[in-house]
Amino acid sequence: MSEPIIQVKNLSKYFKVYQKKPGLLGSVESLWHREYQEVKAVDDISFDINQGEVVGFIGQNGAGKTTTLKMLSGLLYPTSGELSVLGFNPWDRKKEFQKQFSLVMGQKNQLWWDLPAMETFLLNQAIYEIPKNQFKKTLDKLVDLLDVKDVLHVQVRKLSLGQRMKCELIAALLHNPKVLFLDEPTIGLDVVMQKILRDFIKEYNKEFGATIILTSHYMGDVKELCERAIIIDHGHKIFDGKLQEIIDKYARNKILSFVFSKTIKKEDLEKFGTVKEFNQDGSLQTATILTPRLKAAKVAAAVLENLPVQDVNIEEPPIEAIIREVFKTGNR
Amino acid sequence: MSYFRKYLIVLKLSWQNGLVYRTSLLMWRLRQFLSTLMSLTVWQVMFSGNQTLFNYQQQEMISYIFLVSFLQSMILATIMHGLAADIYSGKISDILLKPINLFGYLATLDLADKFKNIIFTIIEAIILAFIFHPVIILPSLINFGVFIFTILIGVILYFLIQLLFGSIGFWSPETWAPRFLFMMFLEFTAGKLFPLDILPKMVQNIVLLTPFPYFSYFQIQVFLNRLTTQQLITYLATSIFWTILLTIVVGKIWKRGIKGYQAAGI
Repeated sequence: MSEPIIQVKNLSKYFKVYQKKPGLLGSVESLWHREYQEVKAVDDISFDINQGEVVGFIGQNGAGKTTTLKMLSGLLYPTSGELSVLGFNPWDRKKEFQKQFSLVMGQKNQLWWDLPAMETFLLNQAIYEIPKNQFKKTLDKLVDLLDVKDVLHVQVRKLSLGQRMKCELIAALLHNPKVLFLDEPTIGLDVVMQKILRDFIKEYNKEFGATIILTSHYMGDVKELCERAIIIDHGHKIFDGKLQEIIDKYARNKILSFVFSKTIKKEDLEKFGTVKEFNQDGSLQTATILTPRLKAAKVAAAVLENLPVQDVNIEEPPIEAIIREVFKTGNR
Repeated sequence: MSYFRKYLIVLKLSWQNGLVYRTSLLMWRLRQFLSTLMSLTVWQVMFSGNQTLFNYQQQEMISYIFLVSFLQSMILATIMHGLAADIYSGKISDILLKPINLFGYLATLDLADKFKNIIFTIIEAIILAFIFHPVIILPSLINFGVFIFTILIGVILYFLIQLLFGSIGFWSPETWAPRFLFMMFLEFTAGKLFPLDILPKMVQNIVLLTPFPYFSYFQIQVFLNRLTTQQLITYLATSIFWTILLTIVVGKIWKRGIKGYQAAGI
């Protein structure tokens, strides 16, 4: 196997945060006396990522996902540990390194606010020293894929969030980065736009063989894009593996949902599993029950046989619920 | 060539950006214009009936005011006043991530601002020339060469001081207090309101040891040929000393700052 494109070994980043006592008095006191506390944003994390992988960073707010990405991008100086991206130490901020990666932040923009997006694209062309032909080809392609032809010459501040995010992505991808860090790329976007961006990221990965690390609060992003997930909690890595493994390991139940053709009694259903929902909507009776994963098929068959079922659906619990379970259980 | 192209594009974008808000730009220029107009009027009145004041002839003084407005628009650009805030809020991350030198980028923005100011100052000077009919005293070729060199030093010195103020943003969002003090001092000692040599000799000597007079007073003295060779050498040495000292200090502080940089807000 080829050498991993990203190598992280015992990486840590501690911040000193000053603790202010509450109230005005506390503020006055802080003028001459301050207590600092060390916050371990990232604590002894190690992982390797191979070329072409799409990896999801999952974690609650403040878990250390973004701090890790910032260190991988060379913005933050690690407290300890080793890291290498594309064979470079990111902190050296070598030009050759910077030309090969991109960091996209959903909440931040690199586009010049008062000018049309096209101006920033041209600036990036110059900064990344992209040959004219290549620039035109890539730009046309990206503009086409993301369907933003009409807004390229409109002032950025007049764009909608979705349009702006698409232009942000274009600005970040014009130099065809081999490594892409996406921090909450779909934050604040509606479902349609989320889908468009997801499809686009998938396409980009396939077409350029790009290595992508993605953080997102929307588990949908991770589920759809990433085969592998790294779960971080309080600066520690608590899981690293296939997303399916998490589901197998932590999702103990499956969800069966039924639509009944006739009204039934709740007790009749309770024999088969834990009833989670039981609704009568006009003449329509619907219900969902939880059953252990391995028994799901059998239970469904039994319900079908014994009750007037019109429709049935077997689902995994939502990935959010599974991840909650992971955090509750803590370390593996 | 492509190495400089990126800075050229930054320069162009910066101009475009500066021209977006026309009213704000006009107001800013009007303020500068009125300030020069006021100085000229005040000195005109003071000279009425006098041939010389504070060892300046009327023509010399009028030349002085014209030069000071030109030099200050060139040396004291304001574009970097937001640097500390940009550092504290994490806005410079964008530049740090890209294959472009941060200082080169900032210097380009600064340069763009200066060019813009110079163009407006020239237009304003033409209008003022119609009102005041000044006779500008021109220097010899050698003096002019030295004059250009001293401007270059002034520009670098001021840029370094802006970087120094900006670096506060690595630790604190508040730069207003030190900047305000600096501006107050600058107002009096750079020579905008009056030439420094009308002050008592002792005060002059002290002020000339600080970087402030090298933001326009010194350059004008060279232009008007009012310095002895010994003075010229002393002041040149002082300004070069400050430039070297600040380069070292700024370099050290930024190195520390960048290492502790938190890239906030991402």
